[in-house]
Amino acid sequence: MSNQKQAADPRMQEENDQSSAGLVSAFFAAIGEPIVYVTRTVKELSALFLVTIKYVIAGKRRPDEVVAQMFEIGNRSVVFIAVTLGFLGMILIYQAGFQAMKITGDLTLLGALFLQLLMREFGPTITALMIATRVGTGMAAELGSMVVTDQVDAMKMCAAEPIEYLVVPRFIASTIMVIVLTIVAVLISYLAGALTAYTAFDVNFRTYFDLGFVSYFDIIIGLTKALAYGMTIPIIACHAGLNVFGGSEGVGRATTQSVVNASLAVVVIDFIISGLGYVVLALF
Amino acid sequence: MKLISAILSLVGTKFLSWSNEVGGMILLSWDILRNCVPPKLDGPETWRNLYRVGVKSFPIVVVTAMLTGAIMVIQSGMYIKEYGAYGLLGWGAGYSVLREVGPIMIGLMFSGRVGANNTAELGTMRVTDQVDALRALAIDPIAYLVMPRVLAMVVMLFLLVVIGDLTALIGGAYTGQVLLGVDAKLFAWSIVNYILLEDFTHGLIKAVAFGFAIALISCHFGMRTTGGAVGVGRAVNASVVASAIAIFVLDYFITYMDA
Amino acid sequence: MIEVRDLTKYHFGRPVLENVSFRVKEGTNLGLIGPGGAGKTLLLKIICGLVEPDSGNTFIKGQKVQGLALQELTQLRFDIGLLFQNYALFDYLNVTENIAFPLRQAGKHTNKEILKMVQESLNSVDLPHIGHQYPNELSGGMKKRVGFARAVIPKPPIVLYDDPTAGLDPVTSSKIFLFLKAMKEERGVTSITISHDIEGIRDICDSFVLLNKGKVVFYGSRDEIENTQLSLARQFWHGFSDDELG
Repeated sequence: MSNQKQAADPRMQEENDQSSAGLVSAFFAAIGEPIVYVTRTVKELSALFLVTIKYVIAGKRRPDEVVAQMFEIGNRSVVFIAVTLGFLGMILIYQAGFQAMKITGDLTLLGALFLQLLMREFGPTITALMIATRVGTGMAAELGSMVVTDQVDAMKMCAAEPIEYLVVPRFIASTIMVIVLTIVAVLISYLAGALTAYTAFDVNFRTYFDLGFVSYFDIIIGLTKALAYGMTIPIIACHAGLNVFGGSEGVGRATTQSVVNASLAVVVIDFIISGLGYVVLALF
Repeated sequence: MKLISAILSLVGTKFLSWSNEVGGMILLSWDILRNCVPPKLDGPETWRNLYRVGVKSFPIVVVTAMLTGAIMVIQSGMYIKEYGAYGLLGWGAGYSVLREVGPIMIGLMFSGRVGANNTAELGTMRVTDQVDALRALAIDPIAYLVMPRVLAMVVMLFLLVVIGDLTALIGGAYTGQVLLGVDAKLFAWSIVNYILLEDFTHGLIKAVAFGFAIALISCHFGMRTTGGAVGVGRAVNASVVASAIAIFVLDYFITYMDA
Repeated sequence: MIEVRDLTKYHFGRPVLENVSFRVKEGTNLGLIGPGGAGKTLLLKIICGLVEPDSGNTFIKGQKVQGLALQELTQLRFDIGLLFQNYALFDYLNVTENIAFPLRQAGKHTNKEILKMVQESLNSVDLPHIGHQYPNELSGGMKKRVGFARAVIPKPPIVLYDDPTAGLDPVTSSKIFLFLKAMKEERGVTSITISHDIEGIRDICDSFVLLNKGKVVFYGSRDEIENTQLSLARQFWHGFSDDELG
């Protein structure tokens, strides 16, 4: 009963809060609240990350559970990633080819430049966004419903620490699988691009499959990004799931919170690593 | 033999469930169209939704757009520096942001923030029988719940992409100045000189299409939720996944037709 | 054995527990009664350290629960069994693995011993043949009994029951109360039982606490509650409704 009441309440509260507070204080509240929220969330996330790392190093090893989670992640997202990244490859080749035709008419570098951009930027980032969407929400919903049905408390009563028992296998599995899926995604996107280049612009495969531009630097940047995303997504999703309160309402809230936070984190990390990569490249 | 039949049955069930969802969405869009002429939608609900959708997603869209612009500048900066063509930086970043990356990234964020939330909200209403309660009060759930949300999402995503494009270019100009040492004036000159209005409108067409797709998908999965708290979680997941697929597929076709 | 001292807990600025104090002697069972939303479940969770109170302390075997390090808390929890209101069975594990979970975590037994103990405990709750089934295939009464088996399988000296008969038919309820009785008489466990079934807990509890709006309204032995003049306690005990609840 109280659940249903809450379901109707939040919107009314939102509007009430705004009208009751004065304009100036409302303005500062509007600026201050997100800052407080972001600081607190980042603090909690780093704490969870450190504890998880501690358990990864010193905790019980449960390879079966990790493999099960890896299968779950791969099984859930491989088709989804293939579809979205395949279309991305087609789109980008189309845009780039179209532009190149207009300006220079030279399409010989299309494949090589595309592969480089795919490795540095779009492959890892878009894959991570897709995994945050598909797998992150799943984790948040799963852990969230375990919290609201007291299963997490039951675990604690049985002397199993939820972070060690639930978060660690997901963390390890996701770290590995994001890297694997990124490689798959780059391949699929590159192939989809090849087909588009061939059908739309008559670029033959021999010209397209030119690996001349790719350097170790691109591979390292791409893999670093994938590694960072793979570690961040499960931490954010599990954090959202484990902090659920308030019944089925809460599970929905945690799920949405997890998509938004994980996607935003991916973009922020992308910016940081790209920026650092650029600086490193400029120095050497 | 067993394996083959297992694979076939898996493919078959997947196909059936996808067809079921697509069919449901087509029916829902028919319902929406029918409610458009003559327009039947709840006034106060529409205002409330416009406000909520806009306010909720504004900060995240601005942040995402700014970072996207910066990332695009960094990525094109690597080539620009190699060839010394600093005058092309604004064009490179602007072209990719306005036509592709801007609408896609903002669309994905919008789907995560607003679409997911919408599905969760409608799904909760659905599993707690609030939708049936509306019907019992002779209120059409399409006109009362779906229409205002669809309108709000289409209008707001359009406006957010306009704002997002602008912030992305500002973010790009700033990054270019700080990281690459390309003067913001040169960046702006490059945009004004090389970017066509067409590039900008190309992105806006996409924004409208994405907005409608996200609205349709999130309402569809929300209104069809079954199975309590677990069902709401599952519906949200299905909704964001379908939205992401729709964004990329639609993007491809719009790019293809508009080129 | 269990002591609760001046416990206060706020939830969104409102007190949900206020200055709650009572003791449970070794080998006795305390009945915790009160209207819904009085904070009974929260109280149990605070006692075993799942929730931190805002002030006050709980003591188990003379040891303060609040402020314990994670390791010590884990050690302490080996001595406590908790039967959750909504069973809280792990829905990705089958019944056998659910019951075996605490034993496997403790790591003191071999796999063979664990399976034998699980089968014995399934027999003792009259569900010998459901070990391979998953929680979502079971009825409410069966889940409750599996939850009971999981809570008591490590043979903890303290067991807390959160509404063990909620939503069950009378036959299953009386069966569950028989288990509770057997736990007390045969194993001598100390327990706290939350229940709305006054008839059922009348005989198995030695003392009672009536909680209303987060405050202890009544605390005393069975004789005392039988003869109390306090109107809320009388209503609860005898099922009257001559007066508005709280």
